[in-house]
Amino acid sequence: MDLLKIENITKRYSGHTALDDVSLSIPEGSIYGLLGPNGAGKTTLLRIINRIITPDTGRVLLGNKEITANDISHIGYMPEERGLYKKMKLGEQAVFFARIKGLSNKEATQRAKMWFGKFGIEDWWDKKVGDLSKGMAQKVQFIVTVLHEPKLLIFDEPFSGFDPINANLLKEEILALRDKGATIIFSTHNMSSVEELCDHITLIDKSHNILSGNVDEIRHSHGTNIFEINYRGEQQKLTEALTGLCTVIDTEDSPIGINKAKIHIATDSKVRSVIAAANESVELRSFSEVIPTMNDIFIRAVNHNL
Amino acid sequence: MESKIGIIIGREFNERVKKKSFIITTLLTPLLMLALIFAPMLIAGYSEESTKSIVVVDDSNIIAQQLTNTDEISFEQTPLPLEIARTEYNDYYAILHIGRDIVNNPGDACLYTNGVAAMGTEQNIAAQLTLAVQKEKMKQHDIDWQVMQQLNTRIALQSAKNVQETETAESSSTVVASVLAYVLSFILYMFLLLYGVMVMQSVIEEKNNRVLEVLVSTVRPFDMMMGKILGVASVALLQIVIWIIFIGSIAYFVLPQVLPAELLAALEMMKQGVPAAAIEGGEQMGMLQAIMMLSNVKYIGGIIVWLLVFVFGGFLLYAAMFAAVGSAVDSPQDAQQLQTPIMLPIMLALFVMLTVINDPTSNVAFWFSMIPFTSPIVMMARIPYEIPLWEVCLSATLLYATFIAVVWGAGKIYRVGILMHGKKPNIKELLRWMRYK
Repeated sequence: MDLLKIENITKRYSGHTALDDVSLSIPEGSIYGLLGPNGAGKTTLLRIINRIITPDTGRVLLGNKEITANDISHIGYMPEERGLYKKMKLGEQAVFFARIKGLSNKEATQRAKMWFGKFGIEDWWDKKVGDLSKGMAQKVQFIVTVLHEPKLLIFDEPFSGFDPINANLLKEEILALRDKGATIIFSTHNMSSVEELCDHITLIDKSHNILSGNVDEIRHSHGTNIFEINYRGEQQKLTEALTGLCTVIDTEDSPIGINKAKIHIATDSKVRSVIAAANESVELRSFSEVIPTMNDIFIRAVNHNL
Repeated sequence: MESKIGIIIGREFNERVKKKSFIITTLLTPLLMLALIFAPMLIAGYSEESTKSIVVVDDSNIIAQQLTNTDEISFEQTPLPLEIARTEYNDYYAILHIGRDIVNNPGDACLYTNGVAAMGTEQNIAAQLTLAVQKEKMKQHDIDWQVMQQLNTRIALQSAKNVQETETAESSSTVVASVLAYVLSFILYMFLLLYGVMVMQSVIEEKNNRVLEVLVSTVRPFDMMMGKILGVASVALLQIVIWIIFIGSIAYFVLPQVLPAELLAALEMMKQGVPAAAIEGGEQMGMLQAIMMLSNVKYIGGIIVWLLVFVFGGFLLYAAMFAAVGSAVDSPQDAQQLQTPIMLPIMLALFVMLTVINDPTSNVAFWFSMIPFTSPIVMMARIPYEIPLWEVCLSATLLYATFIAVVWGAGKIYRVGILMHGKKPNIKELLRWMRYK
């Protein structure tokens, strides 16, 4: 079931269109990636979902009902430019934001302490944002976003500013939140995180939704019929055997005896005969399709080469 | 669920009250004020000045013997001529030359100081010379000095409100009223400006660090603005209340220990209904009246209540406008231009206040204390003069009504402004934002 539906949203600013007739739907319990180059309109879309700004046309549905102000307390939003008070103690900030989102003082304090413990930052409770680095502040920002345990979490560029260790910590927490039943939307440029985390993506470019769907499906459907063969044996034998069936793009001999070859098969129906021919000529170790990375797809999509 | 506006008020309040700067200014300001009042008295009391020796060259031969030595000055006559005396006595404080024609020509006297001239000393000498010349003139006209002294009178005019209901007319002192008027309107001025700008800066800060974006999705912008304004207002009120308690308790507990005993005795007599005239001394009279007035609970209590009413109302009015300006800009520098129209009425009120103190019932005073943008400051300058109650009530009502209208408009601007970044808007654009849906 779709938790959130975005229908035909258009938002114009004086001079340019930030979003042009964008529709997408976000399945419940998924991790949804919002991709796109800088200035594509990702943040505008996230702000519209959060009711920070209103769209010119179109609507946002949460569980099939148009989203209202009351629903917003079930959303956790982490803006790209961090929203924390510079001179307020971190612990008090976390409690303050959780109370604003509807938790009682006691509950907010308990949960904030729990999360500070989880991230190993208990001794930051009385520190102020000004005393922290950007990445450190971001941990607190994350806590502030998830503290009230919202059904829907929205992160705008969550990984920017994190070192690899903390980025991993963040990924694990995002997965854990999904496993607990939360639906997560995040925007990013970081394609490896998309492959690791996202079930679904939407690619926005120049205010249009140019690609939407399940990550695995997208990657497979954008396969370019390139396969990789690992084998023991002579390279020449293999290339001879494959002549006429497919094009050999690249070969690579390895000193340890397992050689590689990359081939392009024009039609799917020939795959079986290619495997058969290869099997005859050399000792086949593996035969696999080369699936494009999200990075490839992103670049090709933005350059209109899909 | 707690009310969101309440949570925001709480945050704004706690954040500011816990600041060191708040604690320091709250405690130090009254101490500083008291120090300014008492320090000169203490210094005068404790510093013993050395006696200044003055050599007198008296060409008239009649004045010098009438000069009397005081703690401050001692005179020593010399028969030497002026030129020699000026070189001879250069280790003395000064050489006083009294001309031959001093009785008929008041300018015929000169003080040659060897060091730095002191105004107090000069005045003292001049007074002594005047007296000596007066006596000499009386002698010439055959007027008895004793008679002259009896003729000398000084009237201590008391003023009292002509009130029918109260049996004994309350004594009032115009001096006290005008001092209070100054102090109160300055307090208003400072609070409107300082705390108003504080609201503006805090809005700009929230806007810059994107806290507003996190908040705006859950809290109505209007609640956000009002929460901030009320939070800061409660800090301002707390500060004033602390000051009142502080100053009040010092006046109540410490002053009786410091004041001279005879003054206290006289005060006691006045309180028991002995006519003030029975107590001698014109200057003491004024002091007594002042103390009587300031210890009149009904009078001071009324002023405190109105002070709180006008600080609160005036602050709400101005803070709403400052918040709107803060929401529209990205940095305090950008705010300069937009905040000028807000500052102008505050400045105007301050100037008007100066004329109001001279004549609190003039037309200018009346109208400026009714117009809501100047009324808090100007009205506070009038209240110590015990103007009719209906005027104060009307002014307060107008102020609060205007506040509601202004806060409505400011809320509209705020709602648009907090999400605008980059371009600095002008006033025209701000007014257009008010009409956005």
